[in-house]
Amino acid sequence: MLAQLLANGLVTGCSYSLLALGFALIYFTTRTFHFAHGAVYTLSVYLLYTFFNLWKFPLWVAILIVLVISAIFGVLMDETLYVPLVKKGSSQLIQMLSSLGFYIIIINFIAMLYGNETKVLLTGVQPTYHFGSIIYTRTQLLILITTAVLVPSFLLFLKKSKVGMMIRAMRDNPILLQSLGVSPRQVRWFAFAFGSVLAAVASSLNGLDVGIDPNIGMPALLNGVVGVIIGGVGFFEGPVLGGLLLGLLQSLIIWKTSARWQEMVTFIILILFLLFRPQGLLGYKRRTEETGL
Amino acid sequence: MNNLELIDVSKSFDGLKAVDQVSIGLQKGKITALIGPNGAGKTTIFNLISGFIKPDSGQILYRGQNMVGLSPWEIASLGIGRLFQDVRVFSRLTVLDNVLVAFKGQKGEKVMVAILGRGKVLSEEARNKEKALELLRFVGLAEKASDLAENLSYGQQKLLSIARLLAAEADVLLLDEPTAGVNPAMIGQILKVARTLAEQGKTVVIIEHNMNVVVEVADWVYFMDDGQIVSFGLPKDVLGDPEVRRAYIGL
Amino acid sequence: MNYLFHLLVMINIYAILALSLNLLVGYSGLMSMCQASFYGLGAYISTLLIMKAGFGFIPAFFLAIIGSVLLSYLISFPSLRLRGDYFVLATLGFQIITFAILYNWVGLTRGPYGIPGIPSPRFFTFSVDTVFSYFIFTLFIAACCALLFYWIGNSPFGRSLKAIREDEIAAAALGKNIVRFKITAFAVSAGFAAISGVLFAGYMRYIDPTSFTLNESIFILSIIIIGGTGNLSGPVVGTILMILLPEILRFLKIPDSVAANLRQIIYGLLIIIIMRYLPQGISGEYKFE
Repeated sequence: MLAQLLANGLVTGCSYSLLALGFALIYFTTRTFHFAHGAVYTLSVYLLYTFFNLWKFPLWVAILIVLVISAIFGVLMDETLYVPLVKKGSSQLIQMLSSLGFYIIIINFIAMLYGNETKVLLTGVQPTYHFGSIIYTRTQLLILITTAVLVPSFLLFLKKSKVGMMIRAMRDNPILLQSLGVSPRQVRWFAFAFGSVLAAVASSLNGLDVGIDPNIGMPALLNGVVGVIIGGVGFFEGPVLGGLLLGLLQSLIIWKTSARWQEMVTFIILILFLLFRPQGLLGYKRRTEETGL
Repeated sequence: MNNLELIDVSKSFDGLKAVDQVSIGLQKGKITALIGPNGAGKTTIFNLISGFIKPDSGQILYRGQNMVGLSPWEIASLGIGRLFQDVRVFSRLTVLDNVLVAFKGQKGEKVMVAILGRGKVLSEEARNKEKALELLRFVGLAEKASDLAENLSYGQQKLLSIARLLAAEADVLLLDEPTAGVNPAMIGQILKVARTLAEQGKTVVIIEHNMNVVVEVADWVYFMDDGQIVSFGLPKDVLGDPEVRRAYIGL
Repeated sequence: MNYLFHLLVMINIYAILALSLNLLVGYSGLMSMCQASFYGLGAYISTLLIMKAGFGFIPAFFLAIIGSVLLSYLISFPSLRLRGDYFVLATLGFQIITFAILYNWVGLTRGPYGIPGIPSPRFFTFSVDTVFSYFIFTLFIAACCALLFYWIGNSPFGRSLKAIREDEIAAAALGKNIVRFKITAFAVSAGFAAISGVLFAGYMRYIDPTSFTLNESIFILSIIIIGGTGNLSGPVVGTILMILLPEILRFLKIPDSVAANLRQIIYGLLIIIIMRYLPQGISGEYKFE
């Protein structure tokens, strides 16, 4: 029982990792609390539904198209929503609230067009695989494998490639970046494009696994954010670790209590981390002025 | 003797010693100037006194009581007032409100009293308003009382800050570059205020880059370089010190 | 005609909520995502006291306020030292936690089944049980609250809050205990939100946790963003607009299935437009910046 729960938790953890990593990419570089990440998450999987279930595209083609559209959508969203505000010197608070407004608009458009009922993408019984006492469906294995391949490669890409270095530079020291002749705006494009693709991957995989409804964005986003806080602010490995741990942790909570308390305990853990270890498990304490107000 | 005293105070940031075994004595009724090149640690000294930063070692005594470990608001309530380099007026409050905010022990700052004790609050407000206007007259800002603080000139905002400190019954006034960026006519006014405050028995400490001001108004000078006190004494002695002049050549 | 009074009742209830959040956002500069928690706590505490413990309406009313204030310390004490966006996250966490408790502690709150049959407020022999009388009742309470907010806002307390909002460091350097002020503002805000909850419970005569979700907190936030903060007219204007907006849509014969979503889309658009072009809201005084 526990083993199966943990096994499922690992799968959930994988999707949380993707969400946390995508959110972190955007948050660390632009310092915007990007609520609209949840909108991208929801929008992409509904696009997948449209291409795959409604227009009968082959699954892989549909996924590919969705990933491309998500990337473009992410960048356009930044350009129309945040950049004008940043240019005006608007605070992060204003950006966050605009992001919230954008999320509300997108979600409700989707609800208007597709309805509020849960939609299933893969019908029929899924083939299952047995590993000792653990059972995984094919889609769950797909989630595990995709994450195991995608995340380390992407982390490597962030470490080694030129774009990755620009992103990490922007995370640590945006002013230095400009003196090196790199435009922060371009780095934002990359952050939003990659981040949105990661969200799309997460939502597509989850959609294939459990189905979709217009309200999946906010809980997914919040779990991603908790993953970032738990794992650590400052390194990209932190969110990945945080997401995985969160998935496993939630399984433990379900095992110890029951599924209905899982959300509450998740957020109690979030608050505990904010209070006692805001830098997360892997993060370092930033040297800030000890204002001790 | 010394109203405010720093004894062997040190503070490092990331391994760099910003303040190194500094001892300073500040007396009532005197204007003490703290001078030195940029990055010498002068504003850090002010931040240490105000409590925004905690020293790594040493003591900061005010009237004999060690203030290290108290939070900024507690230190301010004891009577340590601060004029910031970037002034920091309450932009969207009126000039009068800026001063009114500063009064200590306002009963109306407790919510329950504000609701249930309206009469007391209103009469206290009337009294404070009178005192505030008087302070504004003292610094020459009385006609601007209902203007928003953000609409004042830089120099006027500095005067407003000083009025605020007086409303807060500051006994020690830490003025960080009080004449920087201020037009010459206003400088005269600010210095006159500082002189008057010292004559009233307050402990005035100024960080200054303008040597004319130091010569004109300071009773005692500390010269800091690289986190250490290099020289101190009467203005003409310190400013005549060849070591001080050498450090300032780069200025 | 009754429907008009119903709308006015809702406007009165939400105006108190908007003014309560305004104290936090517009006067203290604190962004909170858990106002609906205190709204819900007010509703549940008063209802449980009346129905399970036999309290009268007036004692239940005041105990609900006190309960909400005390519970606010649970989140404000630890979180008010956190920096900006972490504080917002903490309030979000509190919102989700309170909802989870209201929803899952079925033994106490009946969870998703809700609590039906809540009596109308009774004062000795008189019962406020018609829509019209409830309108007068809530109007009276809302007017009292508005007066209290006016007194608080213009008091030295309100002034110090605004100073803290403008520049915390300067305020601390003048001897203001920043954290104490913020905690107090948070508690006052929670107390007033609880009043709305009590009024809501006595009016609908049925409550369940789905009225007090994160979405509700976001809705209250939208009211003051759109209407404006920092004064009294902003939240009131915002409330009237946001409560009447769905009615306008209905008037335009928009089918109900689409209306709910369309309404939200308009809220979202208004938020974005206001944030971009009119940060002080339609009628507010304090600009988000």
